[in-house]
Amino acid sequence: MATIKLAGENAIIIYFGEQAAPELADQIAFYTQQLLDSLGDVIIDVVPSYTSLMISYRLNLVSHYDFCDQVEQVLSNSTVAPSEANSNLIEIPVYYGLEVGLDLDGLLTDKGLSLEEFIAIHSSKTYLVYAIGFSPAFAFLGKVDDRISVSRLACPRIKIPAGSIGIADNQTAVYPITSSGGWNIIGRTPLDLSLNKPENIKRFSVGDRVRFMPISQEKYCSLGGIL
Amino acid sequence: MSFDVIKSGFFSLIEDYGRFGFARYGLSQSGVADEHAYCWANHLLDNHFNDAVLEITFGSCELKALDAMSIAVTGADLGFRVNGSPQPLWQVINVQTGDTLTWSTAKSGIRSYLAVKGGFQSEPLFNSKSVNVRENIGSQLKNGDLLSCQADTKNRAHRVVPSEFIPDYQQRLTLRVLPSYQFDLFEEPQKEHFLNQRYTVSSASDRTGCRLDGRAMTDVQARMISEGICYGSVEITTEGLPIILLKDSPTMGGYPKIATVFSLDLAKLAQRQSGCEVTFESIDIETAQQKRHEFNAFFAINIR
Repeated sequence: MATIKLAGENAIIIYFGEQAAPELADQIAFYTQQLLDSLGDVIIDVVPSYTSLMISYRLNLVSHYDFCDQVEQVLSNSTVAPSEANSNLIEIPVYYGLEVGLDLDGLLTDKGLSLEEFIAIHSSKTYLVYAIGFSPAFAFLGKVDDRISVSRLACPRIKIPAGSIGIADNQTAVYPITSSGGWNIIGRTPLDLSLNKPENIKRFSVGDRVRFMPISQEKYCSLGGIL
Repeated sequence: MSFDVIKSGFFSLIEDYGRFGFARYGLSQSGVADEHAYCWANHLLDNHFNDAVLEITFGSCELKALDAMSIAVTGADLGFRVNGSPQPLWQVINVQTGDTLTWSTAKSGIRSYLAVKGGFQSEPLFNSKSVNVRENIGSQLKNGDLLSCQADTKNRAHRVVPSEFIPDYQQRLTLRVLPSYQFDLFEEPQKEHFLNQRYTVSSASDRTGCRLDGRAMTDVQARMISEGICYGSVEITTEGLPIILLKDSPTMGGYPKIATVFSLDLAKLAQRQSGCEVTFESIDIETAQQKRHEFNAFFAINIR
């Protein structure tokens, strides 16, 4: 069962398992919500991740040991089986074109795949949001099919355009804003996921499902995509 | 009521107590680097604990007051002057319309805090006025900016911070730490190494993290599955040296963490120049919480 460790003077971290797995991600998303519902008055922030959940709380209102007790209570009283059915499905249109998929050409050669095969593999899967971090609204999605899994670039790019879709090992992600990074870029979404629209901050939550919908170059441009 | 920014300085930021409730979406806590100096500056003016101030790092900053008002400047000694004449820190002072406020270079400490009545009136983003350059939320001060504040009609009493609360930023620093996160996974000799080592503050430190130089710990475990980071977490990098994660740190990280520094000691660390000697000693959770509780009660802080 879960192990609670001290993280800071007003923070704890709960470990739910040792290896990232879809069932564990669902469980963590479920308990995150349970804890927010039950202890929302004393919780300041939560950071769910692959195998853990960090929580900071108001030490003005509750001591470390009392808070640990309350958390244990909530965890042991929550019996509803977590399931995929509770999670949101987010659809992201992607143009998988060589002019925006900066590493696509090399990747197809390395993997011995046609562009059509590659698109089918990447877009046929429903991905799970395992964690959010690195930068605001950057969602780590898994797991990528082994046939298109590829390690990070030896040297990170200085500038990856906003909306780029990347692969690193068995994870995939969208870069919400233009930033540096070492992921292999395979396409781009015309959606504006940046914080210029403040509501974008909540677009992804841990436990959500994401699907990439392949679109043509014309569609990409008509949706505001830039080549 | 406002100031014209004549010279922005090396790195000057509008900051408040911080950004809370968005860590699950990847937003850092942000907020002032030195909570001690910040809280006293607001306290001197009877401000709310979350009122925004200007955090001036290393100096080279020049502001022109467009109205008469009371201000308080606390924190580092960056050679603060009004119209060329040196001014006392850690107390309320009155400036007149047209006065020129300057911060030259760091004499002691790193960060100076300028507070005005009611705080600076910038637009909050995600419930906070704190600028975070790494996250591209707001931007650092630029020449020609206008810093606006509320009208301050009352004549403020001359108030001074009691001398026992004014820190000496030149002293070597002992950081009190709570054993946390992967503490139990470190070997006894590694823990002893950490607690007995004399480190120095590296020049590669910023609002994201304070890097320490010193003799490296050996055989540190490799990177692990990324997890939530809290303010003050001490990562031990693969090279064996500590990085203390601060207000602008990302919300997740994958290095093992041996301990977490007590927040009020992080305020002191925020003022230590590179090369300053730093050691660690243990504190227990009851003591840490009690000391922080007293601080929160005195300054009427209700977030932490």
